[in-house]
Amino acid sequence: LNAAPRRPPRQHVRFLPVPGDGGATELVAMRVPVLADHPLVRGPRFKQLKIGAGHRLDMKASGVLVLGIGHGNKLLTDLYNCHLTKVYTVGGLFGKATDDFSDTGNLVEKTTFDHITREKLERILAVIQGTNHKALLMHSNIDMKTQEAYELAVKGLIRPMGKSPPIITAIRCLQFTLPEFHLEVHCLHETQQYLRRIVHEIGLELKSSAVCTRVRRTRDGVFTLDDALLRTQWDLQSVQNAIQNCQLKVKAEIERTLG
Amino acid sequence: VAAAAARGALRAVPLPAPRRGLAEPARPRSTRQLREAEEAASVFQYVGKAAKRKDRVFVWGFCYSGALGVPSFVTPDAGWKKPRRIQPTPYRLETAEKISSAACGYGFTLLSSRTTDIIKVWGMGLNKDSQLGFQRSRRDRTKGYEYVLEPSPIPLPLEKPQQTRVLQVSCGRAHSLVLTDNEGVFTMGNNSYGQCGRKVVEDETYSESHLIHQLKDFDSRVVQVVCGQDHSLFRTKKGAVYACGWGADGQTGLGHYNITSVPTKLRGDIAGVNIVQVSSYGDCCLAVSDEGDVFGWGNSEYLQLACVTDTTQVNVPRHLPFKIGKIKEAACGGTGNVVLTEEGNVFVWGYGILGKGPNVLETAVPEMIPPSLFGCSNFAPDVRVAHIRCGLSQFAALTNRGELFVWGKNLRGCLGTGRMEDQYFPWRVTVPGEVVDVACGVDHMVSMVKSFT
Repeated sequence: LNAAPRRPPRQHVRFLPVPGDGGATELVAMRVPVLADHPLVRGPRFKQLKIGAGHRLDMKASGVLVLGIGHGNKLLTDLYNCHLTKVYTVGGLFGKATDDFSDTGNLVEKTTFDHITREKLERILAVIQGTNHKALLMHSNIDMKTQEAYELAVKGLIRPMGKSPPIITAIRCLQFTLPEFHLEVHCLHETQQYLRRIVHEIGLELKSSAVCTRVRRTRDGVFTLDDALLRTQWDLQSVQNAIQNCQLKVKAEIERTLG
Repeated sequence: VAAAAARGALRAVPLPAPRRGLAEPARPRSTRQLREAEEAASVFQYVGKAAKRKDRVFVWGFCYSGALGVPSFVTPDAGWKKPRRIQPTPYRLETAEKISSAACGYGFTLLSSRTTDIIKVWGMGLNKDSQLGFQRSRRDRTKGYEYVLEPSPIPLPLEKPQQTRVLQVSCGRAHSLVLTDNEGVFTMGNNSYGQCGRKVVEDETYSESHLIHQLKDFDSRVVQVVCGQDHSLFRTKKGAVYACGWGADGQTGLGHYNITSVPTKLRGDIAGVNIVQVSSYGDCCLAVSDEGDVFGWGNSEYLQLACVTDTTQVNVPRHLPFKIGKIKEAACGGTGNVVLTEEGNVFVWGYGILGKGPNVLETAVPEMIPPSLFGCSNFAPDVRVAHIRCGLSQFAALTNRGELFVWGKNLRGCLGTGRMEDQYFPWRVTVPGEVVDVACGVDHMVSMVKSFT
């Protein structure tokens, strides 16, 4: 960044002594660059960058993590206030229960799982979705008796616009091969440990036990996996391209939600 | 151990000796040790491969009448506990057998099972008109109970009790009907308007009565019985509808406004039509034919039949010309009606909280409730409403996923949502299981649920 060309130095008029004809020094007005703008005086343009992080992603999880640079930090707060849903791919394993709900924890119990079918799992997921939908409507702080609440409920646009406990807006089973299964979860205000706990509770509901093998965030608001930069792409050009590509999307979303 | 005794510890069993062995220093267990410990751990089996899903009954609503069947709500077990007036969320009711049919009347409930045991029907709640049969009091053998707080067996005078099965029960304001497969219909309770299908006896006392009347005289086997507020409807296998009881609003559909004490066949627009479902709860009645047409008769003060007539009482069945598609099921409430079409759409009309928000309080033309309110979305596009039921001023809908949605006036917590406010659009009731059927009453509801696993 510092190697990039800077803006040209400012010019100002100075009266400099110049030896005139005949030996006497005269003051002549000349346009010279301001010394204060000289690179050796100013030093490097960027000594540190303000980088902020968006929604947290813990050590055992992977996926999209949104960062903001400079002015982007203010946009990060606006995006947080939009309360958009995040999408995760959660992988689980039946037959084990551990103390921290992931497969690297201390074993608590082992159970059988041959009675579990995809149909039973989908039934449990439907109930989870139902109770979370109720929580969604209740925490959105709208009076249920108004016509406005009815119309928003019909369109499915009711969402809590303030603090709320974690809410799952949609959950479905992507893959089911005993003992493994993969779920796609759309949620709000959650933590990855909460998703691991949901996997554990699904195991309990099915009269068995389950641990979470992986949590991968595939979408965070408007940012998807396609916009994400890989470890090999952490260079200036890619970052600048990524920022440019997302600028329009972010602005549109903030305007649409916060007005 | 000496130190523990000095502190006054009450350990009866001596502490197990430390197993670590002090030859090696303490270290976090290695991966190999962890893996070996995991493989050596025993596997618990909570449920086998052939485990069946259990059938359960959940009740909620007003408790003081005893209609919920939980005696501790009315007379608590411990002295310091207070009686519970309202059960706002579903509460599990323990039953001896699998309940196949339930019906809620005005302050009482009937549960029936398809068993071949002697006891097939249980009742609880108000019994002031012997709508639950004669319940002998244990304190005084000559008297009967006025309030039954627990599901108590109803003795039916069956000829072949170990072969007959009870198919369905239905409850009205103060009378009940029990449908069996080959012994006709049994009726009990109040008969001041002939709703039990027998001659009205002047000054008859209905409380503590042993009389259970049997009706067998129909053109073919009766397949559905429905109780309105003070009248009874019977649907036979051939598709005919019979009615008896009070007729001042024309709800018997027999062409007059008098009471009828013998079940008589209905004519009018349903003569010769094969009716597949009949419904009534207040004073209005609806019938659905096998071709998807709907017919109505009875009270029309709340615009229930306003699409065909301006009169407020209709005493002959009239065809309701709705252009909403083939109708699969219909349900009548006190002031509002609801139908379900073959595509799974729900249409409501009438008066009261219909489910389309606080602005739609009355309509004569059926209006559709958007399917997105029943859980249908881009994520789950194949969610459909499978059944609809009506209470006096509330509605219930069951989806094909086993979810129960309720809306309407929340009289004494009967909606089961956990809140006391009225619900203007369909709201999920959280039931721990897949809801198979629900029966709605005036101020309570009963649901038959299958557990998940």
